[in-house]
This record gives sequence, structure tokens and C-alpha cells, in this order.
Amino acid sequence: MYRFDFTPVIANAGLLAEGLLNTLKVTGTAVVCGVALGLGLALLRLSRRRFLAWPAGFVIELFRTTPPLVQLFWFFFALPLLAGIEMTPFMAAAVTFSIQSAAFFAEVFRGGIVSIERGQWDGALAIGMSRRQALRRVVLPQAVKRMIPAFMERSIELMKTTTLVATISYADLLFEANEISEKSFRPLETFTVVALIYFVVIFAFSLAARRLERRLALSGETTAH
Amino acid sequence: MGHHWDFASVLANSDALLVGAAGTLRIFAICLVLGLGLGLPVGLARYARAKWAYLPATAFVEFFRNTPVLVQILWFYFALPILLPFETSPLAAASLGISLNSAAFSAEIYRGGIQSIEPGQWDGARALGMSFSQAMRRIILPQAIKRMLPALTNRAIEIFKMSTLASTVAYVELLQQGKLIASLNFNPIEAYTTVAAIFFAFLWPLVQATYLLERRMRRDE
Repeated sequence: MYRFDFTPVIANAGLLAEGLLNTLKVTGTAVVCGVALGLGLALLRLSRRRFLAWPAGFVIELFRTTPPLVQLFWFFFALPLLAGIEMTPFMAAAVTFSIQSAAFFAEVFRGGIVSIERGQWDGALAIGMSRRQALRRVVLPQAVKRMIPAFMERSIELMKTTTLVATISYADLLFEANEISEKSFRPLETFTVVALIYFVVIFAFSLAARRLERRLALSGETTAH
Repeated sequence: MGHHWDFASVLANSDALLVGAAGTLRIFAICLVLGLGLGLPVGLARYARAKWAYLPATAFVEFFRNTPVLVQILWFYFALPILLPFETSPLAAASLGISLNSAAFSAEIYRGGIQSIEPGQWDGARALGMSFSQAMRRIILPQAIKRMLPALTNRAIEIFKMSTLASTVAYVELLQQGKLIASLNFNPIEAYTTVAAIFFAFLWPLVQATYLLERRMRRDE
């Protein structure tokens, strides 16, 4: 029978905490940049001008239909050579996941904006607002509220995807797990503990998201699917 | 930006890419069958009222939906063999991780689909004297599957993308072969661009088909 020994994992708790912090750092950066970029992409895609809508659509589709790990390798190994710049693992991860999540957030924004009834636009235009004013003052505030569940789901997905940065040796939680398991020859204990840490953190976020979603559903303002 | 593009060095290794594509398709097929296949019983158990069926199914779904799939793959590769009397191959570890993850996600699709069927369908089937399992098999599932189709094809696309994670345990698939070509010829730009293009070429038609399916379903409802 195998003898479990968690002491090497506990001794390295500091490393794991640092790793978790780095995971949250990448996720946070990608969510913030992704939302901003995503809104821009969504508005471009909704534009009536083809030369704006078409490239935005292409970027969105490209990043939604290629595997994130391939994107990450491209930004880490290929882009620095192509652009003649130095890329740290953090930069590559931040750039990849920002653009990738922007593509997904763009679709969330677009869905939200499209879901607002025509009458809202008509009313705003009728009282003399320009299209841009109508978007900013009338349509977006309502759309954003409806998008919150989809937005949270995407952010949780993103957090899980950030584990890929371990493959380009950015010191996230999974990377630290690999290090500890190699040094201590205790992969079973290390990976089990790390899986549980991920579960606790992500499950907490999921529960919070579900709670918020239920509250929004009560007020009748959601496009929860 | 004066990069001299040299795709000839990638083309020269097209057999390696073909081997990789075969590996990608193999693991995709395994995980598609296992993932969507296992998801159905789990989804039915989640729908069940009996606690002994509902609780373990729920624990399974929550655990696999709320941990990263890469962690699952590495667990099956590095941790599981310690508990078992044999090694897990890269293919086995990656397929286990991706299949169980997909089973958890597809279980929720099946459950949602079954719940979306109006109670009148159940009542009608019961009134005709069908048992629960007959009603499920003959009346409910055939209708529910149709509604679930867009969500299931989306899952299939996710599985295809997830298959690249098998490269982290050195399973020979497209990305792994791309890495190999890049390190042999020092041409990461061309190698990874080609791999990305191959994935895009495989998946883009699938994604478009899903959109079409979604639009047609919306019109039918």
C-alpha cells in the first residue's frame, strides 16, 4: 500500500501561494484588457462599414477557433523573432490571453447589445441623441447588466485556461506544482493538493457567479442561457 | 520586421505534420466518443431524484468543471500511476483528462436538454403505458437530442482544441510535431503559423456549421 506523505507539499506552501498569486495576476490582467479590447472589437463588428466589421470578425473568429496553447506558443516563440522584441513569459501570457478573451468577450458584448429591443434605439434617437450617445447612455447600460452571467462564466473559463502558461515556464500554480513534484518525488500528493486548490478557488467563483445570476434573474434582467 | 519567410523548411517536414494530424484526430475521436458517451449517464444521474445517483454525479460534474483540464491531464500522467500497478501512457493520460472533463460539461447539456422538454410529453408517454425508461428512450431523448445538437457540436469543437494539451505529456499530435519542427529547423515563426493555420482550417468549417445549425434551430422553435 502506498504511504502518503504530504510534508514536502506543506513545506513548500509558500511557493504554492506565490504560484496562486501569479495565476490570479495573469487572469486579472487578461480580464481587464480583454474586456476593454472586447468592447472595441464588438463595436467594430457591429459597425455598418464593411472595412471595419470584416477584419474585426476575422480576428474574433481566428482567436475563437484556434487552440489557446497554439496561440500562446505563437506569441511566445514566434512573435518576438518577428517583431524583434524580448518577450517575458508573463508578457506572452498577458498578450495571448487578453486577445483571446477579448474575442470571447466581444461576442458576449455583441450578444448583449443585439438583445436590446429596437424600441430603445428608436426612443433614444427620437429624443435627439446621436447613435453614439444612444449606445453609451441607453443601450450599453442595459446590455451590460444582461451580460453579467456570460461575462462571469467566461472569466472563470479564462482562469482555467491560464494554467497553460506553465508550459512556457511562467511561475503560476501549476508550474510550482511541477517543480515541487520533481524535487520531492511526490507527484501524487503535489498534484492532488494543487488540483484541490484550483477546485476550491474556481468553485468559489462559480458559486458567487451562480448567486449573482439568480439575483439578476429575479429582477428579470438577464439573458442567462 | 524584415523577416525572411521560409515555409519550405516546414513543407519539407510535412510527413511529421501528417503523423501529428493523425495523432490529433485519434485523440479527438477517442475523447469525443468517451466524453459525449459518458456524459449521458452522468447527465441522467444528475436528473434523477434518487440521492445515491444524484450526489456522486453532481460531485463528479462540479469537480471536473471547476478544475483546469491541464491539471487533470498532469494528475492522470504523474499521480495516477503511483496508485496503479502500471504506467499511464501519454495518450491514456490525456484522453482520460479530456474525456472526463468533457463528460462533466456534456452531462449538463444532456440534463438541460431533458429538462427543456415539456411535462406534457412525459404525461402523454405515461398515459400510453410506457415505463420511465421507455418514455425517456422513445419520446424524450429523441426530441431533447435535437435541441442539444448546437451545444454538443460546440463541445466537440472544444474537445478538438483541448487535444493540443496532450502535447504537454509528449503525446505526438499536431502541436507537438510543430514544436519538433521548430526546434530542428529554428523556424518557430513558420512552424507555429502553419500549425495554427491547420487548426483554423479544420475548425472553421465546423464552427460555421454550428452557427448554421443554431440559426436553423431558432427558426424551427
